[in-house]
Amino acid sequence: MSSFSIIFSPEILAATLRSMPPILLAGLAGIMTKRAGIENIGLEGLMLIGCFSGYTVNYLTESWILGILGGMIATTLIALVFGFFVIVLRSNKIIAGVAINSLGAGLSTYLLRMMFGVKGSFYDPRVQAIPRASFSGLKSIPLLDTIINNQSIIVWISIILALIINLILFYTRFGTYVRAAGEDEEALATSGINVKKIRFITIIFHGMLCGLGGAYLSTGYLTQFIENMSAGRGFIAMAAIAFSGAQPLRILGATGLFAFVESIAYRLQSINVPSYFALMTPYVVTVITLAITSHKGIKDKKGRRLV
Amino acid sequence: MKQRQVVVFVSLLAFVLSLLVGGVLILINGDNPIVAYASLLKGAFSTKDNVANTLATSTQLIFTGLSVAVAFKNGFANIGAEGQLYVGAMAAAIIGIFFPLPGFMLLPLALIMSFAIGGLYGMIPAILKIKTGTNEVVTTLMLNYVAILFTSYLVNYPLKAPGAPIGMTNNVQAGAKLPVLYHGTRFNAGFLIAVLAAILVYFYFKNTVKGYEMRLSGQNSEFASYLGINVDNNIILSMFISGGLAGLGGAALVLGIQYRFVQGISPGYGFDGLTIGLMANFNALAVIPFAILFGAMRSGSLTMELLTNIPSELSSVIQALVILFMSSENSVTKYIKDLLEKRESIKKQKMKMKGGVDHV
Repeated sequence: MSSFSIIFSPEILAATLRSMPPILLAGLAGIMTKRAGIENIGLEGLMLIGCFSGYTVNYLTESWILGILGGMIATTLIALVFGFFVIVLRSNKIIAGVAINSLGAGLSTYLLRMMFGVKGSFYDPRVQAIPRASFSGLKSIPLLDTIINNQSIIVWISIILALIINLILFYTRFGTYVRAAGEDEEALATSGINVKKIRFITIIFHGMLCGLGGAYLSTGYLTQFIENMSAGRGFIAMAAIAFSGAQPLRILGATGLFAFVESIAYRLQSINVPSYFALMTPYVVTVITLAITSHKGIKDKKGRRLV
Repeated sequence: MKQRQVVVFVSLLAFVLSLLVGGVLILINGDNPIVAYASLLKGAFSTKDNVANTLATSTQLIFTGLSVAVAFKNGFANIGAEGQLYVGAMAAAIIGIFFPLPGFMLLPLALIMSFAIGGLYGMIPAILKIKTGTNEVVTTLMLNYVAILFTSYLVNYPLKAPGAPIGMTNNVQAGAKLPVLYHGTRFNAGFLIAVLAAILVYFYFKNTVKGYEMRLSGQNSEFASYLGINVDNNIILSMFISGGLAGLGGAALVLGIQYRFVQGISPGYGFDGLTIGLMANFNALAVIPFAILFGAMRSGSLTMELLTNIPSELSSVIQALVILFMSSENSVTKYIKDLLEKRESIKKQKMKMKGGVDHV
């Protein structure tokens, strides 16, 4: 098989869709906080909390939906810790974000060993995978059947969520408040809106999205928990946010691009071609794009760059 | 209390709070926190070998802590020490393996090149920020992964030792190794270089004009440029030094501990450096004791795992909590200072009301 036919095969496109949700959901979560002026760079750590708690609750209840809910709740709790430090204590958000990354990695491995006594990874056949969806109308079209059918429902949910968050951010009053909290906090406060409340609501959205992304990784994309299984996706999500200028619709495209590259990387790995350069692509592309487009970024009243 | 005392107090408070939360996690695990922390201390300091191993781990942490201190002191949020460490480590490994030089030239060359390569890598986000205004937090973070993946490629393909089970290079030549200071451990001369570097950085900021300019730009860059200081050039220079110091941390790891470059060589020393730099309030000399503290946690946690039931990952949880608490350092410090000032002024007022002598 030539490398061209490997890259542009329907299987790669199916794999792209399959690997999109974690990056997309974390990216949307990051857009929410970034827009609200409380950017969290701890997406990676939050997703790991989601992976671990999602898998654990699923294991305990043998229900995929409770697993997802558990993952979302646990992740939201940790996100609220971040929120408390940044919103109430006015902590340095970059450093708090770094802390959340370490906390997510440390806590998920610590709890893995404490609760299950294993190191590295945990698998139990009792865990229920998130269901997949197939559209019988597409069965007769081989190309679409391969790409679209038999994908996890989270794939479609995450894409719909991107549209919803775009609506919320740009077409609702709440979205206006969120953006105002980031662009001109004082003006928002003067107009009688409780900035802290707006930000805390944003943090709850943020945590739920990251938790969903994490739970998908451990009970949908795979059905096992592996230490540090988010494997840099939280940072790729940050790259996608920067790349898309924190626009929920554009991040859909950015995530598609990065997931496509990731799928190619893993495909190359399986046929023993060095995949490191493909894995590097999201980061390099983002740095270059930022360098080219930064002067167009969104700035707040004082000229500080938000995006 | 003076400003400095408040800062030290807040750092220690963050550490104690983290130990307390860690203690709760130990309790949930069904163990006794005091026994656990005692075994951690024992593992880090109880024998001469243990002390030597703790100091060996601290060596890398002093370098990354200094790297963070230099960048942040100049107002540049360098989250990229990890990546700068990787490229520096790779440079040291390549020189140490391939350059046919006698030891007295090989080791210095490897160290200088690791500094230079780490420094050049650190300059990329600085130049991007100045020329195009890119946010350094994003670029330094992204460049970490570029460095880790690129060095992984090198050790898995062109530089891979024949027959090695995982991605690693051949050993460096004997002449490139940092001399061992305590027989039977990996405690090596890198530690002395790290301490020397800390002293140099300390006096650089304290006693040189450039150092003073950098401190000033870090505190208020608008004011600094108003005074005619070339803030941009200083950022580039400080990021060269910062990246170079992280690169030296990589060299210390390759030439003093592993004697080769192994894929994924650093277990997050660059991020530890951030914690250490913060706790030290970016003071170069204060970096040393905090680096030893975190080195002790890393080396002692393994003993703790052997003696008790507690996973060694506890130390990374505690460390994450320290960073979290430290993130609020500025606001908490300000709060305490305001509180103290208020109390002071109330005291003065009372004195006045009593008709006492006003002392100030």
